[in-house]
Amino acid sequence: MNVPTEHIYALAALLFAIGALGFLLRRNVIIVLASIELMLNAANLTFLGASRHWTQAQFASDSASILSGPIFSLFVILVAAAEAAVGLALIIALYRLKQTVALDAVAELKG
Amino acid sequence: MAETLFYLLGAGALACGVGVIAARMPIFSVLSLLGTFFCLSAIYLLSGFQFLAATQLLVYAGAIMVLFLFVIMLLNLGDASGLREQTGFSLVGKRATIAGATALTLALVGILGAGFGKEFRTNPAYVGGIDDLNALATVLFSRYALPFEAASLLLLATMVGVITLAKRQRASLPSPDAQLLAQKKEEAAA
Amino acid sequence: MESLTWLWLLPLLPLVGSACAGTLHFLTLRARRGGDAGTALSQFAGLLATGVMVVAFGLSLFAFAQLAGSSDVTALESTTWAWIDGGSFQVDLSMVVDRLSSVMLLVITGVGLLIHVYSTGYMKGDPGYAKFFAYLNLFVFAMLMLVLSSSLLGLFVGWEGVGLCSYLLIGFWYEKGWPAEAGQKAFVVNRIGDACFLLGSFLLIGIFHTLDLSDIAGSVRGEISENSGLMAIAALLLFAGACGKSAQFPLFTWLPDAMAGPTPVSALIHAATMVTAGVYLLLRLNPLYAAAPTVLFVIGCVGAFTALIGASTALVQRDIKKVLAYSTVSQLGYMFLGISTGAWAAALFHLVTHAFFKGLLFLGSGSVIHGMHDEQDMYKMGGLRKHMPRTFLTFMAGAAALSGLPLTSGFFSKDEILAHALLHGNAYYVLWAVGIVSAMLTAFYTWRMVALTFFGEERFDAKKVNPHESPFSMTLPLWILAVLALGGGLLNLPALHIPFEQTLHHWIAPVTNAGDAILYSGGEAPHAGLGLELFLLALGAGIALLFAHKGFHAYKQGFQQDDAMREKQPELTGFLEHAWKIDGTYMAKIVAPLRLLSYVIATLIDQLAIDGMVNGAGKAAMKSGSKLRAVVDGNVKSYALWMGAGAAMLTVVWICC
Repeated sequence: MNVPTEHIYALAALLFAIGALGFLLRRNVIIVLASIELMLNAANLTFLGASRHWTQAQFASDSASILSGPIFSLFVILVAAAEAAVGLALIIALYRLKQTVALDAVAELKG
Repeated sequence: MAETLFYLLGAGALACGVGVIAARMPIFSVLSLLGTFFCLSAIYLLSGFQFLAATQLLVYAGAIMVLFLFVIMLLNLGDASGLREQTGFSLVGKRATIAGATALTLALVGILGAGFGKEFRTNPAYVGGIDDLNALATVLFSRYALPFEAASLLLLATMVGVITLAKRQRASLPSPDAQLLAQKKEEAAA
Repeated sequence: MESLTWLWLLPLLPLVGSACAGTLHFLTLRARRGGDAGTALSQFAGLLATGVMVVAFGLSLFAFAQLAGSSDVTALESTTWAWIDGGSFQVDLSMVVDRLSSVMLLVITGVGLLIHVYSTGYMKGDPGYAKFFAYLNLFVFAMLMLVLSSSLLGLFVGWEGVGLCSYLLIGFWYEKGWPAEAGQKAFVVNRIGDACFLLGSFLLIGIFHTLDLSDIAGSVRGEISENSGLMAIAALLLFAGACGKSAQFPLFTWLPDAMAGPTPVSALIHAATMVTAGVYLLLRLNPLYAAAPTVLFVIGCVGAFTALIGASTALVQRDIKKVLAYSTVSQLGYMFLGISTGAWAAALFHLVTHAFFKGLLFLGSGSVIHGMHDEQDMYKMGGLRKHMPRTFLTFMAGAAALSGLPLTSGFFSKDEILAHALLHGNAYYVLWAVGIVSAMLTAFYTWRMVALTFFGEERFDAKKVNPHESPFSMTLPLWILAVLALGGGLLNLPALHIPFEQTLHHWIAPVTNAGDAILYSGGEAPHAGLGLELFLLALGAGIALLFAHKGFHAYKQGFQQDDAMREKQPELTGFLEHAWKIDGTYMAKIVAPLRLLSYVIATLIDQLAIDGMVNGAGKAAMKSGSKLRAVVDGNVKSYALWMGAGAAMLTVVWICC
């Protein structure tokens, strides 16, 4: 696939911006978490695009440096999974406490 | 052919992304997110990252999305009537401005920064994909063994934390000492 | 000469006595709080202090005898204590008794002993009885250190010590308020002098690289060619220090205020000993001053001028102690006038006789005050000679000596100084004339004082105030001092080819020879011929008798003369009464602006600015904290907003830089 790497970056940036908008503007916690996942995916895309870019014949000398991109993306996916799990557990606990999933409802840490 | 596919998939991913943030009900948002995952997975595949594409589908679409769906089910958030105050946009002037500015900055930086990237048009395709499984495994268990083990600890901690956070609060069973004490009190009163 | 350790006993015994008396004071604190002022322990403090003085006087006599006995020994020196060892600069402290300090020793311990005895009677019943003797002994210790030290530094220690004791003793009755202020004033004015003293001694270190007094005196001759300018400046600075201590113009304003202290204090410190420390310093460093004739002339001018100020002010004073205070200022001026003409022995002679008669007069006035139940205003006295005969007789003796009536000690000492001033010639004629005028005024005001106090009608209610004679402990010193005041002239009879002439002059010749050698460049000191000497003696006698008579008769019937003068010339009277308005000028021009400046600094700068800044820093921290706290409003979304904005900013910064 001969897509210029810049276009992959552009796509990732746009996805990230969309995710940021959602993270900042939505009131529902679940949708906020979904936006965070979107941002993480955008970051993953950036990693893989860069990794693809740097695996030219003249750059690649050992497999370790080529494979840093995919390995990092693997770890991102892993941590995203853990984070999503914890976040959802928090939502459940929050729902139990406040009977709502609106972010405005929680202001306990004021001051 | 592959290029056209890439641009199509890219458009699809963007559309689904907008769907994630603009959906009224959380279930729609989650489903849009699923669409995004599919598109991205396809893009990875096109780029030669076979293992990553599969992992993306397995973990993200298969596990995380399921988790989201479970939680939505548990919290019974499907009812549209009580949703308005819970799910809308908070577009209060200042906040919208700052959010918009942030997002715009990030997007612009990303796109314009792409302009600084090196020109690279051809990519020799590797046999077995760039993330050849053999090579990946070798590197993962030798050079990146430490992060690998650390990640396993992280997952363990996450599991414990999730269970603690989410379990139903039940009145705990009294300790054996407290039981004896209560018994003695009853005997004394009697 | 061998090292004589027992010489250290001289200053140390009074120090120990002071410590013991102080301890007794504290031991009796509880008893005195209960109101019992005369406990036996307190009385014992007085006895102890007086006993110490007896021993000290005995040691002084012994030292004197040793010096007098052998003609080749010129100084007794004690063991040396290496005080400062700084490589090139060393200060070795030892107690040295040479001919000059032996005279001072006898005066200090002798007159001091008499005043201690007097105080046991005068201070009886005072709650601070033991404290008084502690302070008195401490003063004697400091004064002895001053006189006996071999080094200028040790002298300075004593110098400061007597200043401290003066402060303590002037403010002895500090509960009354004004004595405390007077003590502070004395200390501050002294301090100004001390600053000059220090500067002078620094210069001396620079020139001579030592502070040992005998070394300096010996080295002056060699340094004249190179360093005469610097030596003159050092001499002038040391004289400024002496002005502070010996109450010369312009630093004399503390002495009249110092009369707020008990009368024995005025007698000991402000007549006989402390105020003579300045004269002693100049006598000790006589070669230094001999090498600076300009400075000597300045000293002479200051001394003569001060004599005039003091005498003219004493003319119109009502308070008997103030008359004596200004009189002291005036007589000290005479001593400095004597030094300025190179008449070292004459100055010392006047110092000794002044100790006798002024101490006598002060003690006598104390007796009067004691008998009149603390009345000091002469306008309210009169006719006391019937009620207090012994005080009256001794007081007359002192007055005779002060005014210079013929054949008294004061007559001979004053005449000696004036003769040397006349002999010196040139500009010193003016100084001589000023001295003569001051002598006229002295005789006048002395006998005015006597007349107002002891003669005329009684201007007090004899039933309410019952003047009585003082007890024996107080009158005994008066008798002894009266004898000394009248007969002290034998110490230094004028050079008239009579036996026992110029005894003091010959006695301290070994000390003053160095100065004389420099002054007269190897030649002889100018002598007055027999005719001139007799003429001057007659002139002095005539002036004294005439003005004493005038003063006495003007005031025999009361103080109408004062009232007449006040009516005819109010400004002159006011001017004289307030010591030529010098103190007033100081208060207005120096003290008031300083007080204003202190007030400004204390309130404006310290309270407003500095405290404001410190408190303001705290307030600013709190204010900014509360403003920042508004960011953490508990709302998760605003947290998200801040995070997003921060991330965007970081990205921009990171890309651009």
